[in-house]
Parts: sequence; structure tokens; C-alpha cells
Amino acid sequence: MSTQLNVGFVGNPNCGKTTLFNAYTGANLKVANWPGVTVEKKEGKTTFENETYRLIDLPGIYSLSSYTIEESVSRDVILSDDIDVIVNVVDASSLERNLYLTLQLIELGKPVVVALNMMDIVKERGMELDLHRLPEMIGVPTIPVSATKKRGLSILMHAVAHHKDKKTLGPLVHHHGGSESHPHDHHREYAMVYSDEIEDKIDILTKELKKIYPDSSNYRWLSLKYLEADKKIKNQYPLSLPPGFDEGNEKEIIKEKYDFIEEIVDEVVANKSEKTARTDKIDHYLTSKWLGLPIFLGVMALVFFFTFTIGDWLKGYFEIGLEAFSDMTIKGLTAIHTSPLLTSLLVDGIIGGVGGILTFLPNIVILFIALAFLEDSGYMARVAFVMDDIMSFLGLSGRAFLPMVLGFGCTVPAVMATRALETKKDRVKTILVTPFMSCSAKLPVYVLFSSMFFGRNAMFVSYSLYVLGIALAIVTSFVLSKIDGTKATHSLLIELPEYKSPNIRTITIYVWEKVKDYLTKAGTVIFVASILLWILLNFGMTGYVTDVSQSLAASIGKILVPVFKPTGLGHWQIIVALIAGLAAKEVVVSSISVLFSVSNATTAAGMSTLITTLSGIGFGSVNAYALMVFVLLYIPCTAAVATIHRELKSTKTTLLIITYQLAVAWFLSFLIFQIGSRIF
Amino acid sequence: MTLKQGKSNQSYFVTNISLELNLMRRLEALGLTQGTRILILNNEKKGSLTVKFRGTRFAIGKHIAQNIEVSEESQL
Repeated sequence: MSTQLNVGFVGNPNCGKTTLFNAYTGANLKVANWPGVTVEKKEGKTTFENETYRLIDLPGIYSLSSYTIEESVSRDVILSDDIDVIVNVVDASSLERNLYLTLQLIELGKPVVVALNMMDIVKERGMELDLHRLPEMIGVPTIPVSATKKRGLSILMHAVAHHKDKKTLGPLVHHHGGSESHPHDHHREYAMVYSDEIEDKIDILTKELKKIYPDSSNYRWLSLKYLEADKKIKNQYPLSLPPGFDEGNEKEIIKEKYDFIEEIVDEVVANKSEKTARTDKIDHYLTSKWLGLPIFLGVMALVFFFTFTIGDWLKGYFEIGLEAFSDMTIKGLTAIHTSPLLTSLLVDGIIGGVGGILTFLPNIVILFIALAFLEDSGYMARVAFVMDDIMSFLGLSGRAFLPMVLGFGCTVPAVMATRALETKKDRVKTILVTPFMSCSAKLPVYVLFSSMFFGRNAMFVSYSLYVLGIALAIVTSFVLSKIDGTKATHSLLIELPEYKSPNIRTITIYVWEKVKDYLTKAGTVIFVASILLWILLNFGMTGYVTDVSQSLAASIGKILVPVFKPTGLGHWQIIVALIAGLAAKEVVVSSISVLFSVSNATTAAGMSTLITTLSGIGFGSVNAYALMVFVLLYIPCTAAVATIHRELKSTKTTLLIITYQLAVAWFLSFLIFQIGSRIF
Repeated sequence: MTLKQGKSNQSYFVTNISLELNLMRRLEALGLTQGTRILILNNEKKGSLTVKFRGTRFAIGKHIAQNIEVSEESQL
């Protein structure tokens, strides 16, 4: 028998499962303070006293019914042989809500260990928990832990190791009276004992199930699922019930569970003070009818203000460094008599391409720090509430706005976050418009072109692109809801977590992961794209060419010139950059550097060279704006397209989405160029 | 009266919920059943409102709130 133990982390949304998982495995999975951050199960390993444990982090769920996708997926995983021990992560500051799932998990019949997380918040609020009484009442070990401070971790694993085989519960001591008519006293056997009526029915069902499915286990749970009219279980275990047997006791079952929870909370929680005033005070402003929306818009404006101002200021230093490095390399290479071809590859291809992209790192870091603050403070869930009325007008739920905000960072996780949406239609619509929320990879394009062509107004030009993207997302959803005639369901349902001061570690992990992605992208996709482009530019049908207009890249770009001419982008270099940008949006910038062989395009000197070159081919500020609009709207990068395809599981819908985005991009830049070039 | 007609900062008791099955089940799993005490935090807007029940705050849509019957007195 393998000694590896499979431990599943199960709990309500936003109770700290992933933080605990990270603490054990050393993984850096994203955590934040809004329900639904984890959408996929994640696996990791930890060792405790020379034994290996396989840990499985599951999406947060409120119950084990099968009414939402996450719930039925999680339930299947928990029930499968894939999990030996359940670690039920419980937010100790919110026992009343969390224990409902705990009772359901205990009924499953697998070994359960409760990890009481967020004990610090319990203390902070002046509450006290009776840690002796709680396990007595529910019959499973309860271990206080602090996932953020990494306390109680080995005690919890110890409990897991000791309870891995225990399918029966520990000593149960309940004070409520025994049964009146039901023949068995279950109070020493089960944590959750129902009323006589239901217990009688469980007995009948258990008897029937045992007859037909003798090899099954945990008949009590199956019987309960029958009484809850659980379709999945009923189909899996068909049963002919005795005549006159009335099922459909789901309401009573739920209510009796909550009654028992009230009993537990009464006995276990002391000083149940409602000292949660801080969150209510903040919400008084942030969710208010008149201030809610302006505050949200202000917050977003601030996010981008920091991104552009502080980011640009820091970027200046990066540029100086890059320029020095580039000059040094040229001098060095000349000194050792490197062939001009190799020098060109190194300086124009690699330093120009990859290096140029690295100078945008400060902007990206600041954007992600700001987004991390938003996500970790607890504000995100409020955004869903604040935006619900507007989103309903667009035929969507307020919840659909969360993926859209994430889209400002990166389209890939944003598309994945749409899983939390209730209906398939909402998902498709949200996935269609999310790429219009300008992602961080498009930022270098705006920063470069707006500072080249719009000088002092650069920041407003960049802002305008974000606003345009949002406007198009709105118009698109509105038109779609008119076409397919769906009305908003007004069925928003989202937990509003307590506000907390953002955790430095959480934010560091969040930002570091993004920086790592960015650097990896610069080192792989952008690096390869720059070299490929350099080759395509320096070689033609006849081999090495000295005139770039004879190169392979030029021949490819020139084919498409007529298509792009009306949009002001009818220059083969621009077209090649846009095609290359499909790999990653930053590649548009690195390609421009390579295409116009300006190795320091992002520096002041490089920019003026580039402006001169661009003006030479008749590319002015209106063209630049049309280009930025095109980059904002056209097909997202390959990684995003792959994610969209994976999430929708439909090639047809994915192709439709891409076509739509391409069409919108072409049409909008066409409008801007045609109108703009007549005015200016 | 319905929950949507309730006043901010006032507690009510749920008397009846009649919603689509899956919505109803989700609410029940959150502990919103007949007799549950529910505190309205903010019902200023035309659409969704914020409430608190069983120790947790939620934002809920208009449709849900219009189909939850409440009364000011506990009927249990």
C-alpha cells in the first residue's frame, strides 16, 4: 500500500483554503479577499514526519448539493478515491455559516479534520471559542490554525495522520433530549441527528438501499440525499420506494442542520459581540447609492494615474540603463571585431526587442500592486454590488464585472474567473467583452506611442483608450442583450467579506508572480519573436538582403497593405508589428524597434529617431491613435485565445469572438483615421 | 411584504421564499430559510441590496429580494 495520503482542502469561499495550501506546499497560488478566486483544483505536496502528503486545494463551496458547477465538481472529487482525508477549513470568525458545510462533510463518512482558521480575527473582535466543547459536539478534531502566520500547521497535519483511518466519530456529547418515538438513539453515533420523522425515513431508505446495493457504503448519506431529492444520487442508485413514501424533506433537513448549528454556536462562542462595525462604517460610503459609483470610478482613475505617473518616472531610470547597456554592447562588439550581421542581431534584434520591453516593468508592477490592493482589501465583491444596476441594464449580472476588472491586469485569469458566473450565456458574453478591458501587455504600446506623438497630453490619450475599451464592452453587451432578448435576471448573490488591511505577503506573491510572468514572456515569447522578426527582416527570397523592403517580412506585410490603408495603418512595417503582436501584445513595441532598427526606441533619443522615421513614411499622430485603438481592440494574444477556447469548449464560438474583435478593431480605427485626418 | 420593500438597518424574519429551484437551494444552503432573521444593510438603490444573515453580509439582486416574503415579527 502506498504511504502517500491524499488530503483535500474543502471549505466555504474566502475562508483561507488557498493561503493554508500555500503555507504547506510553498506554492504561490493567488489568494485574494473575494469569493471565487480559486476556480480549479490545485495539487501540491508536503512532507510531515517522513511521510508524503498529497494536498488538493478545491474551489470554495457553501454546501455539497449539486446546484452549482463548483459544488458538484468539488463533491465528485471529495467522494472519489482521490481523497483520503478531508481538511475542512473553517473561518472561525463566521462559524454559523461555515459549520453547515462541516456537518455535510461529516455525513459523507470520510475522515474529517476541521482547521479553524482566522482565529486572530476572532480574538480581534473580542470573541472567544470553546475549543474543548466544539469537537465534543461535532465529533471530529478541530485544530486552530493561522494560515497567514503559518501557525498550527504541524498540529493539523498530525491530526490528519492520526485520523486517516477513523471513519467513526470521536466522543459525542449532546445535551438535547433523546428521541421520543424513533427506535434508535443516534446521539452517540452521529453529530447531526434529525427529528424522528426524518430519522424514521432514513431507516426505511437505508434498508432498501442495503438490499439493492449491498456493496455500497455510507447508506445514511445516500438516504439523506434521497430525502433532499438529489437528482444525481437518485439516478446513480435507482430505488423503488414503498408506496406512500413521501420524500422531499430538503427544507426540513437544511433547517434542522441550522438549528443544530445555532445550538453549537450558543455553546461554543462566548462574547458573540457584533464588533464588526468597521466593515459597516466603510460600506456606508463604498456601497452608498450616490457615492458608490463615483468612488469606484475614482479608485480606478487613481490606479491608472499611479501606473502612468509613478511608472513613467521610474521607467526613465530603466531607459538610461538600457541606453548605456546598448552603447556598451556596440562598443564592445566593435572592439572585438564582431561581424556587422551578428552585431545587428544582438543590438537591433535582442536588445532592441527584449530590452525595450523591460523598461516598461515599473508601469506593470505598479498596476499590479494597485490591483492586488483592490482584490485583497475586500472591495472587489462590493464592486459587483455597485455595478449591478448598470450591468443589469446591459443584460448581465454585477458579478460579471469582476472578470472585467481583472481584465485590466491580464485577460487569461479574467476569462477563467468567468466560471463563477451563474449562466452559460453570461459567461460567453463576459468572455467576449473582457479582452476590450485593456490588459497590462497593451500598456507599453500606449506609453510609447502616446509619449511620442502626444507629448504633454500623453496620459490623457492613454486614459482615453481605457475608456474607449470600457465603452465598447458596454455597447457590445447592450447590443447583444437586445439581439438575444435576454433580460437581466437580477439574481446577483455574492458574499461581501469583511474588509481587512491588505497582507504584504499576499500582495508580494501576487505582484512577484506577475513580474515573473512578464520577465518570462520577455525571455521567451518576445525574445523568440524578436529574433524571428530580425531574420524575416534581413532575409528575402534571395537570401541575405541589405534593403529591408526586399525582405520576407516586407513581402508578407505588403500583401495586407490595401486592407489596412483605410485605417491609416497601411504600412507594411506596422502590419508586420501587428501580426507579431498576436504572440504577445508587447511584441508590437519590440517589433517596431526591430523593424525600424532603433535599438533604444523607448528612450527620448530613440523616440525622436523613430518619430522622424515614421513621419518620413507619412505616419502622424492620427495614425498613431488609430494604431493604439487597433491594438486595444484586435484579437487578444495567443495565450488568451487558447484560454477562451478551453473555457468555452467551442471552436466555433472562439472563432466568432475573434472575428468580431478583428472587425471592431478595423472599423473603429477606420472611423478614427478617416474623421481624424480630415480634422487635423 | 417583500424583502425589497424593507427599510435599511432594520431586521426582518423570512416568512416565505418562492424562487427558481436552484436559486432557492443556494439560498437555503446559505442558511436563508423560513424563520431566519435577516438584517437589511442598504436598500437605497432601485436594484440590488445588501443584507446580513447568519453572521455574513451578502449583496443580492432585486429579483431575489422581491421573492422573499418577510415580516417584522418572528412567526415562530
